[in-house]
Amino acid sequence: MNFMSVIESTLAQLVGRNACYYAIAAIGLNVQFGYAGLLNFGQAAFMAAGAYGLAQTLPVLGISLWWGIALGVGYSIVLGVLMGLPTLRLRADYLAIVTIAVAEIVRLVVRSQSATRVFGGSNGLQTFSRQFRQLGIDLGIAPGKTYGFWAFRFSGRDLWVLIVGWSLVVIFGVLVWLLMRSPWGRILKAIREDEDAVRSLGKNVYSYKMQALVLGGVIGTFGGMIIAIGADSVQPDNFSRDLTFYVLTGLVLGGIAKVTGSIVGPMLFWALYAFLDSFLRQLIGNKPVRIGNTTIISTVQVGPVVFMLMGALLVTLMVYRPQGLFGNRKEMAFDGR
Amino acid sequence: MNPPTEMPTAPRPVHPPRIAHRCLVTLLLAMLAATFASLLVSEPAGAQGTDSVIQVQVKEQRREGGRQVNEPVPDVSVTVFDADGNEIGTGVTDEKGIVAIPVPARADYTVVLDEDTLPDDSVLAAQTPAEQAVNGESFVTARRIVNYFTGESQRVAQSTFDRWSQRIADGVRLGLVIAMCSVGLSLIFGTTGLTNFAHGEMVTFGALVAWVLNKNGLHITFAALLALIAGGALGYSMDRFGFARLRARGVGLITQMVITIGLSIMAKNFFLFRFGGRDQPYFDYTNQVGRKYGPVVITPRDLIVMILSLIVLVAVAMTLQFTRLGKATRAVSDNVELASATGIDTTKVIRLIWVAAGVLAALGGVFRGLDEQVAWDMGTGLLFLMFAAITLGGLGSAYGALLGGFVVGLMVEMSTLFGVPSELKTVPALAVLVLILLVRPQGILGRAQRVG
Repeated sequence: MNFMSVIESTLAQLVGRNACYYAIAAIGLNVQFGYAGLLNFGQAAFMAAGAYGLAQTLPVLGISLWWGIALGVGYSIVLGVLMGLPTLRLRADYLAIVTIAVAEIVRLVVRSQSATRVFGGSNGLQTFSRQFRQLGIDLGIAPGKTYGFWAFRFSGRDLWVLIVGWSLVVIFGVLVWLLMRSPWGRILKAIREDEDAVRSLGKNVYSYKMQALVLGGVIGTFGGMIIAIGADSVQPDNFSRDLTFYVLTGLVLGGIAKVTGSIVGPMLFWALYAFLDSFLRQLIGNKPVRIGNTTIISTVQVGPVVFMLMGALLVTLMVYRPQGLFGNRKEMAFDGR
Repeated sequence: MNPPTEMPTAPRPVHPPRIAHRCLVTLLLAMLAATFASLLVSEPAGAQGTDSVIQVQVKEQRREGGRQVNEPVPDVSVTVFDADGNEIGTGVTDEKGIVAIPVPARADYTVVLDEDTLPDDSVLAAQTPAEQAVNGESFVTARRIVNYFTGESQRVAQSTFDRWSQRIADGVRLGLVIAMCSVGLSLIFGTTGLTNFAHGEMVTFGALVAWVLNKNGLHITFAALLALIAGGALGYSMDRFGFARLRARGVGLITQMVITIGLSIMAKNFFLFRFGGRDQPYFDYTNQVGRKYGPVVITPRDLIVMILSLIVLVAVAMTLQFTRLGKATRAVSDNVELASATGIDTTKVIRLIWVAAGVLAALGGVFRGLDEQVAWDMGTGLLFLMFAAITLGGLGSAYGALLGGFVVGLMVEMSTLFGVPSELKTVPALAVLVLILLVRPQGILGRAQRVG
């Protein structure tokens, strides 16, 4: 057993690309779920909006990559309005069902064979990030070179993505922190606590909820853009129902209705994932573990086992410590009924 | 210690932390222990290399001015199965009418073309039937080519009436399964307010338990019966050791909902871990030939499944309508406090609903598995359709779920008649789920009330 390599891969994932885009998505989800009490279970669709917005630029539309940012944000605004329109006047669980259904529609449509020319079918879209990488090179980050030390070694190409990604995390983190201290944020929290009370003060609750849904979605969109730009490709099946749920697990781990929670949670989620993954792999070694003729576990099965444990983590957290690591128990009052 | 987690103003019973601890442990164990049987018997699918390829070419043969012309046929769906009937891969032909499907080794396979995906007025030529066998020795190189020819043949293309009848029959079949699975989901929502995101996994659970027993030599009918008992036990334990305790602790509904998400992730990955990623059929009543009943072609197996489903659903509706228990269930579903005030033991009724939901979900899973195949994620796909069904019918209404399930099943299967590509056939049903909330949020059978 090589403990050093377990620790190293854990630390690398703590600040890696996965943690980064999960953090951005979780900041967005936190605006909806944590502050406004909106059950958005379709964050994956918003992320897909951003990823496909970028990916469509060169391969489909033949325009500059930078237009893709506007395109992605545009997609996610449309998506947010579509999700909110039928449900924001209704009870919270309707939004949960509608968002999850819309996210599934989005995934089916972008992977559809009949829309291959627009979204690339089940293979998705590739090679569109040249301009982005060129910018990194212009700023003096050599793509081939390895930067960093000890566990934190990244190729120049990855480093550039990480710099942009974590900068976005900081920008959105500060933005949300400031917004939630503003009168606008206070109304949002008040809606979470008691919608009728806010309505009786003459505020347009529907409009505030819609703004929160769209804002959270647009932030999540940038998470999707980081996935796309990091891999220089998008695949429809990356944006399944489970993506939303894992982002949610990360958010709950860090703590709902706290900006630090929404950033640290996803980092810990991926560090824990990497730890369990490499620990189990080291434990099993090359040979499958058998009792008699029955295989108990082999290395190809480590993935499902780790995600199974992540599911158990979500259950444990919600039963024992629903406020997560940084959350405040008083802020957990999003439970209307 | 487990301090309050909800609004501080809400009154709550005080419970010792011991209960919370047992509550969690048993909740986790309930899902796992019940599927433990499969741990001993099912062999997971191993890793596979992809050095060989089966290349399928679909061409339309036409005579033009005495010469034979071959035109490629795009968008035809093809699936490759191995000698044991396991699905190896699937693909859709490109503009050149070609699709390459990687296979693990040069072995015997069966290539099956989905005739529904051919262009409307074309049929396969007699010399290339939809199902073609590939011999392992016929791989001259790593790439084995399989040809399909379409064109005008002696076979008369299906008439519009026949196509409609067939689609309606398929829709009814799917609708019955969805209705069966949704009743429990809707009643749980109606009585406790909980949206159970793990309901799809309860469906998969039933199908997998039956598959494991079936694989070990038990006939599918007995395997199915035992799966129903296991499903009921799962429903019982989920409430008794899980959600009943959470309710007693005063844990909020949204917290409970997120817990069902956690359970769903756990269960799904557990199934993937033990069962493997491949679809598997049951071992009885496979390879049946469809028989023609009027304009509809259907296998005897599917016909019996449909009749059984119908009997079960009618029985459920009768129980709800006429028995004391059914009336109590509907009363609790309508208004828990009022039902409780009239002397109904709501805890018992809710427990019973969970058991019934578990049994019905398991049965739905077995029927779905017979209809298609058993897969680790089969319930996940159905969950979306179940949500559509209960929203359409009216959240919390049992009859609404039955009706909604039926309508959704029909909508999914019939959408292809209106030009919806077959890979998008669930989209109209999901879209209706969104639209119904705009026009009639209480659903078809729901009572109008303030829900916001």
